Amino acid sequence: MTILQENPSEETFKEPQYPWKKANPSTSLANSIIVVLPISVFALSFFLTDLPGALLFIVIFLPVQILVAVFATIWGISKKRVGDAVLSVLSLVSFSLVIALMGSVLFSVFSRGLPAISLSFITQNNTYISPTTELDYGGVGHALLGTLMVVAIGMIISVPLGIASAIYITDMKGRLAGFVRFMVQAMSGVPSIVAGLFILAAFILTDVSGFSALTGGLAYSILMLPTVARTAEEVLKLVPKDLRDAAIALGSSRARVIMKIVLPTARTGILTAVILGIARVIGETAPLLLTTSNTNGTNLNPFVDAVSTIPVYIFQFLGSGYPTAINRSWGAAFVLLTTVAILFAIARIVERSTKKG
Amino acid sequence: MNETKTAALEEETMNMKNVRVPSSPQDVHPNKPGDANVHLETQNLHVWFGKRLILEKVNLAFPENSVTALIGPSGCGKSTFIRVLNRMHEFIPGAALAGRVLYDGQDMYDATVDPVNIRTKVGMVFQKPNPFPTMSIKDNVLSGLKLAQMKYENPEEIVRTCLERASLWNEVKDRLDASASSLSGGQQQRLCIARSLAVSPKVLLMDEPCSALDPGSTRRIEETIREISSDMTVVIVTHNMAQAQRVSDYTAFFLSEDGAPAQVIENAKTDEIFKKPKDSRTNDYVNGLFG
Repeated sequence: MTILQENPSEETFKEPQYPWKKANPSTSLANSIIVVLPISVFALSFFLTDLPGALLFIVIFLPVQILVAVFATIWGISKKRVGDAVLSVLSLVSFSLVIALMGSVLFSVFSRGLPAISLSFITQNNTYISPTTELDYGGVGHALLGTLMVVAIGMIISVPLGIASAIYITDMKGRLAGFVRFMVQAMSGVPSIVAGLFILAAFILTDVSGFSALTGGLAYSILMLPTVARTAEEVLKLVPKDLRDAAIALGSSRARVIMKIVLPTARTGILTAVILGIARVIGETAPLLLTTSNTNGTNLNPFVDAVSTIPVYIFQFLGSGYPTAINRSWGAAFVLLTTVAILFAIARIVERSTKKG
Repeated sequence: MNETKTAALEEETMNMKNVRVPSSPQDVHPNKPGDANVHLETQNLHVWFGKRLILEKVNLAFPENSVTALIGPSGCGKSTFIRVLNRMHEFIPGAALAGRVLYDGQDMYDATVDPVNIRTKVGMVFQKPNPFPTMSIKDNVLSGLKLAQMKYENPEEIVRTCLERASLWNEVKDRLDASASSLSGGQQQRLCIARSLAVSPKVLLMDEPCSALDPGSTRRIEETIREISSDMTVVIVTHNMAQAQRVSDYTAFFLSEDGAPAQVIENAKTDEIFKKPKDSRTNDYVNGLFG
């Protein structure tokens, strides 16, 4: 036998093929048993008994599913794959639970919020509106503007501070880096109402300022800072040391290494840090109750007077108990979720457009 | 290296030998520290990481516009040594150092010296190509000038000259605005060399610049090294004996024996090191008997 094949095959292949996808008959049978049997048992038990579905899911479906997976795998595939089967079952079940939870939250917000949505609901404010006023009048326009204002102020304060502290920890490696990281982590444990209380005590009760979007933004920045700083730290750590070395070896000062090389390289991650910071606070209600208070009119001055925000608006109408008021709350929740989605989409578009080049 | 200069160096070496009795391998260096035409030299250099002594008594001088190869087994401190030469050493946690590193007669570790200035004069090319991924090819070449805040005119001319010297121009002249990460590994390394050349350093340190590259790119980089040594001092770390012989005028052999701090075992003109080494360990190493 030489290394040359004596009878080379004349067969030619026109189409790509995927031999690893070919089904083994006993494997397919085992797989269909694993999928069909537990669900049938679950459905049967659900219709034959009066027990709640969630209980049956945990007591009947989960054990049956795991057992069937184990035995069908041993019988139809291989003993060595039992671990794979159990892992697949557990991860699929957990995945479906998470999707179901998320889905039901989104579904209830959409299904109950959508009826309240109209152009007037988004553009009008709450002046002369009572909890029983028809949904055709009044809306969250003032609260939407208020929320955007408060979040913007929170961002203006926390994003530079967060990035700066991340730079201090990763690039400056200052003597206090460990302490700063510890403080940032400790800050992320601050309950949101405590952030509100702090601003209330420090600025409002001392008459430095009244209720305003600014004080709300300050409270938000306390909550955003740890998220922005920690995420930024993680992404700055991902910038290869090679690049910093290269810049230093070219005779760059430290500031220029950071401004021209490190931050531009990490900009996608920095943007993620900002997004996570916004996501952290945008639905926070407690700190705003204490710092922005609430108002029915539109207030575009961030420095003076109470301002309404969507979380507080939801809180205000949910408490009244009237059906139309509760509908307003759902509508406002819908607007809030949509706002977040739009902000994230904008961020991703900005990211994509700056990525090229 | 031209002939007359080599001859002059040899003569000086001879004079040195007449004056001083060689007591250690360092003392047979062709250019004793203190020579007038030396840009960069180390005197009695010791380097530590933490409490561990890594390099001991390194006396090396790098004659102006010459190429010096640093050879020796892995882990014997060659890379550490060249990082000392442009003050990159101090960024490594636990790094310490004693002795003197003279650049143009001045100790670059003197408190009055700004390390940022030293690094514009002593450039460095790293083992792994590290172009800035967010910048175009053109901006990469100019990045050193911008980072070091140097004034410059006629950027197109600079980009062209530097890329030509790094023998990359013909491959990239039509896509100077493309991202640097679109280049192959060998092209990226040549781009890094072009980037280092743009700030016109007097010395270029190269830490195994070809270790990850194909033979074609390696050959081009070696040609570049020969070309730039007409007005630049090059110090190159290499594990490739053939490369050391091809590109260098002088060779220094580093060795750390049985965990002892590394020393320069032998240091002479490249021909001598490879053809008639004085130390048996050098002989064994360059002939592939160990390492």
